[in-house]
Amino acid sequence: MPMYQNGEVDPAVKALEARQDEIMRKLYELKAAVEGLAKTVTTPDADLDLTVSSSLSSHSPSSSCSVLQGTADLNALLGQDLGALRDIVINANPAQPPLTLLVLHGLLCQRYRVLSTVHIHSSVSSVPPQLLSCLGPRHADSYIRQRFQLGFTLIWKDVPKLQMKFSVQNMCPIEGEANVARFLFRLLAPYPSDPALATLVDSWVDTAFFQLAEGSAKERAAVLRALNAALGRGSWLVGSELSLADIACYCCVLRSGPASSTPANVQRWLKSCDNLGLFGPTMALLQ
Amino acid sequence: MTKEEVQGAAQEEAQAQSKKALKKQQKEAEKAAKKAEKQAKLAAEEQSTEEDDFAKERYGVSAMVQSQQKLDRLLVRVQDLTADKAEQLIWVRARIHTSRAKGKQCFLVLRQQQFNVQALVAVGDRASKQMVKFAANVTKESIVDVEAVVKKVEQKIESCSQQDVELHVERIFVISQAEARLPLQLEDAVRPEGEADEEGRATVNQDTKLDNRVIDLRTTTSQAIFRLQSGVCQLFRDTLTKKGFVEIQTPKIISAASEGGANVFTVSYFKTSAYLAQSPQLYKQMCICADFDKVFCVGPVFRAEDSNTHRHLTEFVGLDIEMAFNYHYHEVIDSITDTMVQIFKGLRDNFQTEIQTVNKQYPSEPFKFLEPTLRLEYTEAVAMLRQAGVEMGDEDDLSTPNEKLLGRLVKEKYDTDFYVLDKYPLSVRPFYTMPDPSDPKYSNSYDMFMRGEEILSGAQRIHDAQLLTERASHHQIDLEKIKAYIDSFRYGAPPHGGGGIGLERVCMLYLGLHNVRQTSMFPRDPKRLTP
Repeated sequence: MPMYQNGEVDPAVKALEARQDEIMRKLYELKAAVEGLAKTVTTPDADLDLTVSSSLSSHSPSSSCSVLQGTADLNALLGQDLGALRDIVINANPAQPPLTLLVLHGLLCQRYRVLSTVHIHSSVSSVPPQLLSCLGPRHADSYIRQRFQLGFTLIWKDVPKLQMKFSVQNMCPIEGEANVARFLFRLLAPYPSDPALATLVDSWVDTAFFQLAEGSAKERAAVLRALNAALGRGSWLVGSELSLADIACYCCVLRSGPASSTPANVQRWLKSCDNLGLFGPTMALLQ
Repeated sequence: MTKEEVQGAAQEEAQAQSKKALKKQQKEAEKAAKKAEKQAKLAAEEQSTEEDDFAKERYGVSAMVQSQQKLDRLLVRVQDLTADKAEQLIWVRARIHTSRAKGKQCFLVLRQQQFNVQALVAVGDRASKQMVKFAANVTKESIVDVEAVVKKVEQKIESCSQQDVELHVERIFVISQAEARLPLQLEDAVRPEGEADEEGRATVNQDTKLDNRVIDLRTTTSQAIFRLQSGVCQLFRDTLTKKGFVEIQTPKIISAASEGGANVFTVSYFKTSAYLAQSPQLYKQMCICADFDKVFCVGPVFRAEDSNTHRHLTEFVGLDIEMAFNYHYHEVIDSITDTMVQIFKGLRDNFQTEIQTVNKQYPSEPFKFLEPTLRLEYTEAVAMLRQAGVEMGDEDDLSTPNEKLLGRLVKEKYDTDFYVLDKYPLSVRPFYTMPDPSDPKYSNSYDMFMRGEEILSGAQRIHDAQLLTERASHHQIDLEKIKAYIDSFRYGAPPHGGGGIGLERVCMLYLGLHNVRQTSMFPRDPKRLTP
């Protein structure tokens, strides 16, 4: 080959090699910098993780505002501020009101300035009045949309599966109440940083929606036994704090109707959930 | 060849030709004679048969209806011809939609508005051969009176709206005869575009349809469109009347243009000139100042814009609303959007047949809406468009393509074809628009959209004479010309707002049609003044 004439390397190739090395070096530097940043974010003592207060049981229902405390910044969580309302649209079938999401909506309202609106889609002819007021009374400022950080738009619509649409440009519609619940909960508090615990939360959420809410009587009984066992180990389902697992399971247990033989630990847990005062308004609305 | 030879040949040829011609003539004469004979025979036959036509009194062309007699005859409507009228002898007045003769039978399709029924004239003890022949020869679109027995059919008649019965004709009289040649065929005019391409059949283009509007209006599609349009007006009136609105009539000949001077028609008015009203804007507002509180107005509106687009007409029907409010102009938005939702609901619940008829020719998705209506703010819309890659300034007006894109984005996220866009930049709105108190760049104005196209433009109006004067001079409007208008606010004027909707556009967009001329009975545009 002409490049290696006389066994010597062509100077042009040498220059090219040097440039490549330089680029690689810069890339490594960049990688290290990113890794360093990531560490500060994910380590337990970074601020993002100081979220869930540990003294839940001591709180009275009236102070439930502080159940979940986070410094979550919507810009960090949802991407750049575009100077417009970030509107979360949820399409739900009035035949199956999404209890979990209504509870999470209550929590979001305590954290952010949320513009909540309820609409009826033309595919549905009539909706019971309590579903129209399920997001509470209208905010006094609701005539100026720009004053809010977050929009929560609930549309009663003839959909086979609950659906959330947020950033239409970059996100496909999210289907299933469980998945939407996960998304909303992350706006309140991050998942446990321990992967095992995070997976456990997810697994309880799945159990709640697939086995408790939709399963047969036998399956439900099995889940109640499992819940009882888990609640024997701690006051909440996962770890020492209230998590999405508790919220989802609580709503699904109530939705599937009061079982005749609710195990003791589950009963105690249901009571402590009630004491938080998070669920009361939602449950009252749907009765 | 020599010359002689050529001549000789030519002569011979001529001779031969003349011989041939002679023979031909003879033959032709014979033929003619035979023909005459045949005709005479035929005529004689006809005469003889006519003489013994026992059904002579049962068909024919009636004398022109000049109201000579008042018959006590009940004419049943075609849509009422159902199985429970079976075996009854009834009278029907209808048009001949199609006729098809087959030997001793003649099938007719009788049409009345959007309904049709099959009728049969068959040789038997009630009808003669001549009667069948007569029935088969009645021209299409003629109006006939038919006496017939309603008979149930074993197999549904798929091509007719009355599928369970047919009529066995006993008498048939032509009331009004149509000319044999129609400028367009009704079947061609209702054929969906895609279908025509597949089967190589004809469709009628829009200009031909509009040139022969009277015939085109007879098609099932047109019948459905204009019945639905009447429904829109009715629902609009009913809803607003229930809300305590008063219907007003305003002059259409006016002395000053209400929205910019460029696009008005000037008419000569004795020794001076006047304009045709672009909107009843000023008069609606004066009614508010005169304590009518909530008014609406249905009437013609004129625009002299020389734009030949699918959605512009030079004369259209405006549905205008103006109302006084208590504290916030959103009271007005709520009132208007609720009216629109009531209209949509009324159409969805009471005009399903019409919607489906139109859909057969112009398929479209059903119109979707939310209740209460979705309201977005202009800045949100700009953010949505920017996210979709559109470059535009904060105070730029929405261009038509951007309006459509925004409509698609909103549809994708909220699944609604109807929404309100609030808080437009002040600079793109007329002078009487109230500025936004918190940000003077914006205004208390709004547009409403159906399927991504604007149908209503409205705002809170300035009810303060001084601010109004200021804004008018900012827009360089001659204050002398609008003196009467400004003066009406000097003696106490309530805060108020409103908006105007184009009836044709609402119908077009509700049905998902592509041209506003389809929903205007006799459209007027820069190029069309007739019919």
